[in-house]
Order: sequence, then structure tokens, then C-alpha cells
Amino acid sequence: MTLYHFGNCMALIYFPYYLTYKHSGLSEYGAFWKCIQAGLIYMVTQLAKMLVLATFFPDNVSDLGNDTIGEFLKSTVDLADLAGLYLVLSGIPGKGHSKVLTAGIGWAAAEVVLSRTVLLWVGARGAEFDWIYIQKCLESNILLVQHIITATLVWLWSRHDLKQNIRSAVSILLLLTSYKSLLLDLLISFIGASMWMGLLIKATTTLIYGMFTLVIYAGLAQIIGIF
Amino acid sequence: MWFEEIEEIFKGYLPYYILIFLPIFIIVSPVNPVTGSSEFPVYRMQQYDLHGIAHGCRSAGINLEAKSLTGWSTPRHCIVAKLGDLTVDSFKNIKLKAGALLIMLPNNLENLSPEDKQHLLILENAMIAQEISIPVYFSKYSPELETIVRDIDMNLDTNDMSKSAAEGIINSIAANGYQIVVSSSSPSLRNDAKIATIHGYIPGYSSDGKIQTIVIVAHYDSFGVAPELSFGADSNGSGVVILLELIRLFSGLYAEQKTRGKFNLVFALTGGGKINYQGSKKWLEDQLDSVDGSIIQDASYVMCLDTLAANDSIYMHVSKPPKEGSPSSLFYKELKAAAHNIHPAATVEGVHKKINLADDILGWEHERYSIRRLPAFTLSTLKSHKDFRKYTISDTRGNLDSDRLMRNTKIIAEALARQIYGVPSGEIFGNSWNIDNKHIAAWIDFLAKQPRSPQILSTKDNLLVATFKDTFNKFLRDVRITNAVPDKRDPDFQFYQLSSGTVNVYSVKPAVFDLVLTIGIVIYLLILYLLIERIPLLYNLACSFTLNAKMKVN
Repeated sequence: MTLYHFGNCMALIYFPYYLTYKHSGLSEYGAFWKCIQAGLIYMVTQLAKMLVLATFFPDNVSDLGNDTIGEFLKSTVDLADLAGLYLVLSGIPGKGHSKVLTAGIGWAAAEVVLSRTVLLWVGARGAEFDWIYIQKCLESNILLVQHIITATLVWLWSRHDLKQNIRSAVSILLLLTSYKSLLLDLLISFIGASMWMGLLIKATTTLIYGMFTLVIYAGLAQIIGIF
Repeated sequence: MWFEEIEEIFKGYLPYYILIFLPIFIIVSPVNPVTGSSEFPVYRMQQYDLHGIAHGCRSAGINLEAKSLTGWSTPRHCIVAKLGDLTVDSFKNIKLKAGALLIMLPNNLENLSPEDKQHLLILENAMIAQEISIPVYFSKYSPELETIVRDIDMNLDTNDMSKSAAEGIINSIAANGYQIVVSSSSPSLRNDAKIATIHGYIPGYSSDGKIQTIVIVAHYDSFGVAPELSFGADSNGSGVVILLELIRLFSGLYAEQKTRGKFNLVFALTGGGKINYQGSKKWLEDQLDSVDGSIIQDASYVMCLDTLAANDSIYMHVSKPPKEGSPSSLFYKELKAAAHNIHPAATVEGVHKKINLADDILGWEHERYSIRRLPAFTLSTLKSHKDFRKYTISDTRGNLDSDRLMRNTKIIAEALARQIYGVPSGEIFGNSWNIDNKHIAAWIDFLAKQPRSPQILSTKDNLLVATFKDTFNKFLRDVRITNAVPDKRDPDFQFYQLSSGTVNVYSVKPAVFDLVLTIGIVIYLLILYLLIERIPLLYNLACSFTLNAKMKVN
């Protein structure tokens, strides 16, 4: 709407990232450059994904629900994100909370800077007011949690000392991560929920997801002795 | 302490140069980077000068807050209203005190009730009568605009006392406002305006060498409150169509030596008929003042065709009652007889109106010719030259009675043929050579599909004028175009640019809303902060959970 509104949106979108970075103790480790590194790897991964998408998928901008299988296959390409995260994690020395958090925050921050800033700059500053910008900001907050979860899962999966049954659970969760947004979008359009309702659904599922991951992580963390 | 924190942010990852670059970005980026979510094509009201008198609206740009008909109060408001809700009184008030006016037309101009039609005619007439300083736009019906109009009407109730104070506050914070933006500069005068008149003739033949001349004239432009919306199917599409049909019929007859009549037939499609018959004026001046003399100088009569499908009765308007035995009075008799033969319900009446020399504006086209002492009359189905139906946007193809048009074409063609061939009370057009209904329908469809306001047609190389010329060339001889150009020092007519545009409707929120939003965001962030602070607790909880589980397993 105005520059003021743009400021509102910026605060809403970036402050949680700052808070997480600050209070997770990452700033004390000097993990800033590691976060940047994660961001760079994020960019490379996205480029690779785009190449694949542009090469193998027809340029259809059809709305969701028309071509579910096509969308499904597109989501499959998101598995590349997991590979990228794995690369990020392997590039960060040490173990434990800070490793996972650095990867997650770096990854999420790169995404939010690259995909949201321009949208807000162009959209939220115009004369037109639209709730969509506030909703996008809140969605990014959810995505931050989601990316930290994904990083944790990837780290868990890369551990060799994971029990077999937990390992398979982690694998299933990882696979679901790629398809989560698609499945949620389908669900939301199926029950015809409003944007706000959709956000609530996304937040709830992400939190449940997060609880699962946290429990598994806590279990492993106690075994290998990191606190 | 918090100061150090902020300093750390700058040291860490918000470098100081952002303080320089951010303002630069803000300055260089365009002011309104979004295109509005709602865009509508709009049509600006008429703007023209006639004989030095300004008509219509004088400005074009709008950037104002939208208000309803009853909710506006200052010149900073743009009134958005449906045509049906606007009255002449409220319009006069708006004209004086409001900032701009955007009118949404009804969904279908064809299905209006007679009262609504009458209302539209009166309103159009009141609007165009005088000069208006605020921009006035018309928009076609669209569901989105309808929603916006309804929304604006709802917001009216913020000052409503019947609601509780809390509701009032909520309303004033969260109300959906709309900003109406039409970005265009002020309309400038057009220098290239010229009004084309297309004319040609077919020569008659008489063994004694005395050939008389009949001139048939129709103006081809139309008029309505907005130039782009004036389709003029009846006024004067019907006159043009009848003229074109007469050309087709008589050129066919004249092509054969045996059926060649003893009258020269001159046909003219004149422009600027709605702006005091400028085309006729120029053409007549050229013809009468030319050195070698023109055949219309001693024409038997000039017949003007104007709005010929509005009624069943045909009126023959004259400025001076024709003398008994003169060609025009003979034609009148033939017309009466033909009307009686073809359609008994159709009456033919003569209407006598003297030319008011004190008035700059002439009533009917024939008066242009009568002033120059040519015997002339206008055939019309309207009884008065002041009839609003000549100047309305509701004169569309759907409102035209095609059957009546074809019947009247037949009546006029028949009457003319009877006079030319001197066979009173005999049917001339029959099976082999008759009125072609398809030809008429095709022409009327073609004409009523395009807005034909004088300013739209006055451009260089206008397509419609070229089409007329081609058609004339097919049937007539010596086809010429006479262009009327306004005089440089004392122009009779002047046109202006910008007859249409695009309106952007932005939905905006009041400034208070932003503040409330900020408070909301701050509260949200505080909660988030507290949650992040508590994350270790959550972690411990998870740890104890798994520990318990392990204990149980063990």
C-alpha cells in the first residue's frame, strides 16, 4: 500500500529469522558465513532444479487441480532440495544443534531473500492493498520452521547409527517433505478453505511435523551425547 | 543495551551502506509499480466546441477516492454511481462540487424499461447541455465494478448513528476504500479534424433535354453523451441505410436505357450532422459558389433523410410550405399514397417550422438548404427536431426496429420512383427489382457496430468514409469527398483528444489500518520471541519423552 506497509511486511518476514539466529546461539559461533554458504548452495540447487523443470516439463501454468500428476512430478524434482541440504550439512563441521540450525536457517534465509523480497518490493509498496502480502510473510515464517525440520531430517538420515525402524520413519518423513506443499494445497483447494484457513492448516501440520522430528532428534542426540 | 544490539546488526549483516542505497532505490523506483487489480475501459464524455460555445467535460485525469452518490462531500471525491441512480439534480450538484464522476451503464441498454429510457434521455440531454469542469467517464457494465459500487455504498454507513461505537471504530479502521485513477493529461485540441462529405450522382435522360435534379442527403454521424458509445443505429444509421438502398435501386434502374428516369439523382452522405450540419454547410457552399456551376443549383428539391425508424408515422419537415404543383408537393402526395398502399397504419404528415435565424443551431438538415433558397425538406419519423432520441447512447442496433426500417425504405423508394417515372399509384418495385432486406440488414449491422461520433470520424483517412466512397464509386459517377475544416481564427467546431481511457481501481485501506497492522505484527513478533526463548524447554520435554520411552523398553 505504502512504504510504511512495505516496512510492516519486511518486519514480519525477516524479524523471525533474526530472532532464530540470535537466540539459537548461532551468532556466538560466528556461523554467519556458514549461513551465506548455505544460501549459495541453495542458489545452485535452485538453478539445477530450474534446468530440469525447463527441460522436462511443458510450460503449463495451469492452476492446481487440472494436472495433478504433472504437479506431482514437479514436486519430485524438489527432492533435489534434499540433496542440496545434504551438501550444506556435509560442508559444516561439527555436530549437534548448531550444525542443523545453521544449515536450516541459511537455506531458509536464502529462499526468503530470493523469492519474497522482490515480490514485496513490487507488490506491497503499491497503492493497492492486498492481504496476500501479509499472508506471504506469515507463510515464510512457517517455511523457516519447515526448513529447519528438513535440515534436521536430512542430518538424521545421514547418520549411520540410527536404528532401522527410526531410519525408515525418517525416510518417509523426508519423502513427504517434498510433496507436503502439493498435498496441502490439494487439501486446501479440496475443502475450499480461505487463505487464512489454509495458513492455519499449514502451520498446524508443520508444527506436528516438527514435534515428530524433535522427538526423534532428541532421542538420537541423547544417545550420541550432544546437548 | 538495545542500542548495542542494533549496532551489532549493522556490523553483522546489515551493512551501513544500506542506509544510502535504500533511499536511492526508493527514489528511482516508479511511483505506482503495481497495475491495479481492477482495470476497466472507460469512455470519456463528449467534449467539443460549437460556434465558440464549449460543450461537455473539460478534463480527463482522475486520482481521487471513490465515494457513493450519497456519501461524497468534497472535491477530493470521485463519485461512482450507476446510471439509474443518478438524477439530473444530483448531477448538477456533482458538477459544481465534486472531483470527478464515473458512471456505470446498465447491463443491457436494450432491456431498459420505458421510464428508464426516458430517464437516460433526459439525463444525457442535461449533461451535454453545458460545460463541465470535472472529468466524467462512463463504463460498461461489469460484475467487478458492480461489486465495487456496492462496497462503496456500504461504507457509507460509517457515520450511521444506529450502529454501536465499537462497530463504527472497526468500520473506520478496516473499511475497504477505493482509489480511482485515470492517468491522462488534460485533453488537447485536435488540429487534424476534418469532416468529410461524400457525394456523387447518376445522370438522368429526357428526350426533350430538360433534366431536373433531385438531391438526396443523409448525415452519417451519430451522437451520444460519450463519443465512443454513440452508435446511432436509428439516428442516423437508418437515413444512411435508406440512402444507400436508394442508390442501389436507382443506379440499377438507370443503368438500363429504357428505365432511365428524367431526373438527375445526386446523393450525398454528409458529416457533422450532429454538430449543426457542418458537412452540409460546407458542401452546399462549395457547390453553389463554384465557378462552373453545379447541377444542384437548380435542384427540384433536396430531400434529407433523418431518423427513419423511430415511429410508424413519417413526417415531412419543411421551412416553407411547398407551392401546389411544385416537385416537393408532388413528392408529398406520392409519399402519402405509397405509405397508404404499403402500410396503411403508417401516416404521412407535413410539419412546418420556420427557420429561427436568431438561433445558431438549426433544427433539421433541410434548413441548411432552405437558407440558400433551395426547395428542401427532411423526412423523419420524429415529430420534433428537439427529440432527445436523436442524441442518445441508447440508440443501438438492438433498439432499432428493422422491420419498420425496411418498410419505410420501401415507402420512400416507391414514392420517389413513382415521381421519377410519372406513374402515380402504380407499384414500381416488385418481384424482379425490389428492396433487398439483406442489403439493408448488412449495412445497418455494419454501421451500428462502430461508434460514429463526429470526432471519431473526423480523423484522417477514416475507414468508414473510405467505405462509403468505395460504395459510391461502385454505383455513382463523379464521386468526390468534400472536407470541412474548421476556420483557423473563428472555428465553427473544435474537437478534443482522449475519448476513451482505462480506469484503475485500487483498493486501499485507511492510514489508521496500517498502524493497527503494525501493532498486530509487533504483538505477533513478541509472542514469537517468547516462543523461541522457550525452545530449550520444548527440547527438554522431548528428551524426557524419549527417555521415558527408553526406560519403559528397558
